[in-house]
Amino acid sequence: MVKKRTIWPYLLVAPAVLIIVCVVFIPVLNAIVMSFQSYDLRRPKDIAFIGLGNYQAIFKDSLFWGALWRTVVWVVCGVGFQFLFGFILALLLNRSFTGRGIVRAVSMIPWVTPGVLIGLMWRWIYDGNFGVLNDLLMRFHLVSAKIPFLSQVSTAFPSVIVTIIWQGIPFFALMILAALQGVSTEMYEAADIDGASPAQKLFFITIPSIKNTIFVTALLRVIWVANSVDVIFNMTEGGPAYSTQTLSVYIFNKGNALNLGYASAMAILLALVLLVVAIPYLKMSFGKEE
Amino acid sequence: MKKRKLARKAAATVMAAAMAMTALAGCSSGNGQSNSGGATTAADTAAATTAAAADTGSAATAGEVTIKFRYWADNTDYSQLMQDIITKFNAENGKGITVVGEETPWDGGAYSENLFNVKMGGGDIDCATWKLTSTPLFVNNDLLADLTPMIDTWADKNDIDDNIYGIMKEAGGSDQIYVMPWNIQVLYVYYRPSIFAQAGIEVPKTYEEFLTAIEKCTMDTDGDGKTDVYGFGMRGAKGGQEPWGSFIYGRGGSFEDMTTAGAVQGMQDFIDIYTKGYVPPTATSDGFNEIIANFQSGLTAMTIHHTGSSANMVTALGDDVSAFPFPAGTGQWTSMGDTETVIFESCKNKEAAFEWVSYLATGEGQKLWCEGTGNVPVSKTLQASEFFQNNRFMKASIEGQSYAGILPILDTTTEWISTLWPNTVSQALTGSITASQCMQTLQDGLYQ
Amino acid sequence: MKHQSLARRIISYLPLVLLLVFILFPFYWTFITSVKPEDELYGAAVTYWPRVITFESYKKLFTTTVNFLAAMKNSFIVASLTTMVSLTASTLAAYAFSRYEFAGRKSLMCIFLCNNMFPTVLLLIPLYTIMRKLGFLYTPASLVLSYTTFTIPFSVWLLLGFLNDLPMSLEEAALVDGCNRGVAFVKIILPILGPCLVATGVYIFMTSWNEYTFAMMFTNTDTRTIPVALKSLIGQLGVQWDLLTAGGIVTIIPVCIMFFFAQKRLVEGLTAGAVKG
Repeated sequence: MVKKRTIWPYLLVAPAVLIIVCVVFIPVLNAIVMSFQSYDLRRPKDIAFIGLGNYQAIFKDSLFWGALWRTVVWVVCGVGFQFLFGFILALLLNRSFTGRGIVRAVSMIPWVTPGVLIGLMWRWIYDGNFGVLNDLLMRFHLVSAKIPFLSQVSTAFPSVIVTIIWQGIPFFALMILAALQGVSTEMYEAADIDGASPAQKLFFITIPSIKNTIFVTALLRVIWVANSVDVIFNMTEGGPAYSTQTLSVYIFNKGNALNLGYASAMAILLALVLLVVAIPYLKMSFGKEE
Repeated sequence: MKKRKLARKAAATVMAAAMAMTALAGCSSGNGQSNSGGATTAADTAAATTAAAADTGSAATAGEVTIKFRYWADNTDYSQLMQDIITKFNAENGKGITVVGEETPWDGGAYSENLFNVKMGGGDIDCATWKLTSTPLFVNNDLLADLTPMIDTWADKNDIDDNIYGIMKEAGGSDQIYVMPWNIQVLYVYYRPSIFAQAGIEVPKTYEEFLTAIEKCTMDTDGDGKTDVYGFGMRGAKGGQEPWGSFIYGRGGSFEDMTTAGAVQGMQDFIDIYTKGYVPPTATSDGFNEIIANFQSGLTAMTIHHTGSSANMVTALGDDVSAFPFPAGTGQWTSMGDTETVIFESCKNKEAAFEWVSYLATGEGQKLWCEGTGNVPVSKTLQASEFFQNNRFMKASIEGQSYAGILPILDTTTEWISTLWPNTVSQALTGSITASQCMQTLQDGLYQ
Repeated sequence: MKHQSLARRIISYLPLVLLLVFILFPFYWTFITSVKPEDELYGAAVTYWPRVITFESYKKLFTTTVNFLAAMKNSFIVASLTTMVSLTASTLAAYAFSRYEFAGRKSLMCIFLCNNMFPTVLLLIPLYTIMRKLGFLYTPASLVLSYTTFTIPFSVWLLLGFLNDLPMSLEEAALVDGCNRGVAFVKIILPILGPCLVATGVYIFMTSWNEYTFAMMFTNTDTRTIPVALKSLIGQLGVQWDLLTAGGIVTIIPVCIMFFFAQKRLVEGLTAGAVKG
């Protein structure tokens, strides 16, 4: 790493910084300020500075804590399995076989599908009266009565988690596949000569060589999934009985109800939680350089 | 030397990108208004006159006015219908008014929020189609034009029932009329005559008979021990508060105070038909699509909706579908769905905009729209016409008009409808809260 | 011997097949929904292959007010431009973060990360005002600008991850040979970074392609993108399944074909520049 003082790095980051600052900086600051106000556009004459009032109300709000817990489950299960299946898929797609190009292209489908279609299609698949999933389960005699997946508190949340896993697999598959291309084959050849098993090669060569990519993609995906709204919203809108309402969906509902002060305060709390999650990685990547 | 080369390369790339963007902005702001790509929109005829006026959004030359009109369309046929009506108005109004229509998705009701964001951001829309529930939000932010003076001097003022004007005033929270009536939908009960015959019952005349009918129509038709037909298609997702209200009023409750004994009893009836299995188990998440699909496929014997769906019903079921108005119990109520139009305070030529919205309300636009979509007209003269008197679904609607009402329109109503009602009621249906706890939560949520 | 290798082959490909079934089933279901007539959709029995196949919905997609072709064109323009601008800015920034130490480096990296933690629903009104004042409303530029601000931070971090996995020894060897940094970047790093650039480019393209909230706010009927066009098929009276699924299929296939050609470049990293020791 170059440590001498030079103007180059500043020039290189300038375009990126300029775009971000000119467009989003002020709206984000605006939102932060709103979190300290009783900013409800349905009652614009009542807008006033209330300090930590929103935050205090949030801590007493049982819906907030429920949503926060659900967000944790959502992210851990969602990103966890997305990563697992994406990783497996990347390894499989890295091998050589006929038709590999087509298989790779086709694996991208969940990523290419527009969000509204994902929500509605999966809702249709899960449908309790006409859905194909119930039909298959009944045909194979795995259940005796149709399961209303999205109508029951016990099954609604797992169902939407399966959908978000489906949506996220291609992202990990692609990123890991790209990183795998940079791993030198010589290390594998040396390992083969030493008689290493496939599992040993996986854990001692493959994973360490791409660990930066793994960490970054996992972190980015955590942030993305924590904030994602459209899958849940198009499938259940947060119901039934709040069972699929993650914090991002709660914020979205409050924001749409134009209670922007409350929504902004919750958004800041969510961002703080995500920052806490990100800190170990930041420390690790900054620490390595010293 | 090489350093400079790279610097120039980098700078060139960035500059090229910047130039591309500004070029896009420059040439596209002209293109954005005219029609590219073969769309058959009415804007074709308007394009010539509006291309110059587009930036300012109002009079380009003396006597020529452009009105920007935002609307949503429930499907592609209605989208085409609205565009045809706009073309007709532009050709026939003889006052130099040109309406430019702009279609935006309904998006599950987010249409209103999007409209709000645009108006707050300074967007220049002159008038739009409207849902009453968003009135308090816009009125509180001083975004709507007061229509009272224009309506008072309007020739067709009396063609619309006073009751309807009253509801518009109520929504605005004052004696001013901020919302122009357009069409209404009165909810009634669809039923399958064949299933009624199989269950051996007649059309219910009272609320109690209605509950019995639900029970009797829940049948196991093939003897396998599982219910094949459910008595009622309950709507538990967003929008379900409209049929639900009839149960509350049927026991003497009302929206003014949802915690009375009558109201709680009505809620209990609602919970009971769910727990006893007279409605499909998917009821907690069933929305419009589901209740209609369930009814049309024969899974349910009755469900509640309005004339908007009647055309599809007849296509699917022919004569084996009819309707009756929701019967009276201790009280009687059915939901009056609404669609209106509004003119924004920012509109520079409100008289011209009023010409357009009144064309939709009682003029040719009303006839074309209501006959095309099957919605109940607000124009009394049109209601009396043959087309509307001879339709059995229209009849059920018109019969229900006298006791049709709306939810109180407060600034909390939108959130109550979107989030509070669906989640609280599904908590009650699944047993995690009681009927009276449910009603208390709903009461507190609406009247905070 | 032959039995063994066949069995082993099946077992080694089984995970792939299972994953593919999981990934492709909804796509298959979307496709047959788009060619089924409506009464069959809600029929008493679920059919796995339509009794009647009709391509009516595809025709309606392009000839009625949906005007899907225009939406596809708009989506493509916006996504391509966003990818070009965003990828350029991100690559430069990521290289700076990875190879240089400078004041403000850590704070900038943190800001980039935090930028995306904020939900967009709260930024809509001020952003609309900004776009209106810049005169970009209802043009592709507004979307390109909005999308670059949200894709740049993630892209920078993605490329940073890839760059950090590439050892410094590559460039150091070149520098020792007398090249300056810029040439080392273009001649050595860029080719090896190729697959990663493709992957990041795909990420940016997909994000722009599928984005709805901003597209809803900043476009009108003529400039609307695919997600907005699809949303307009859902009204108060329910979902127009035939058009929605047909639109989905028409959206998915061209992009997959594009990706098929793009993924060939993923392999190039192996041939460009051997990594010695």
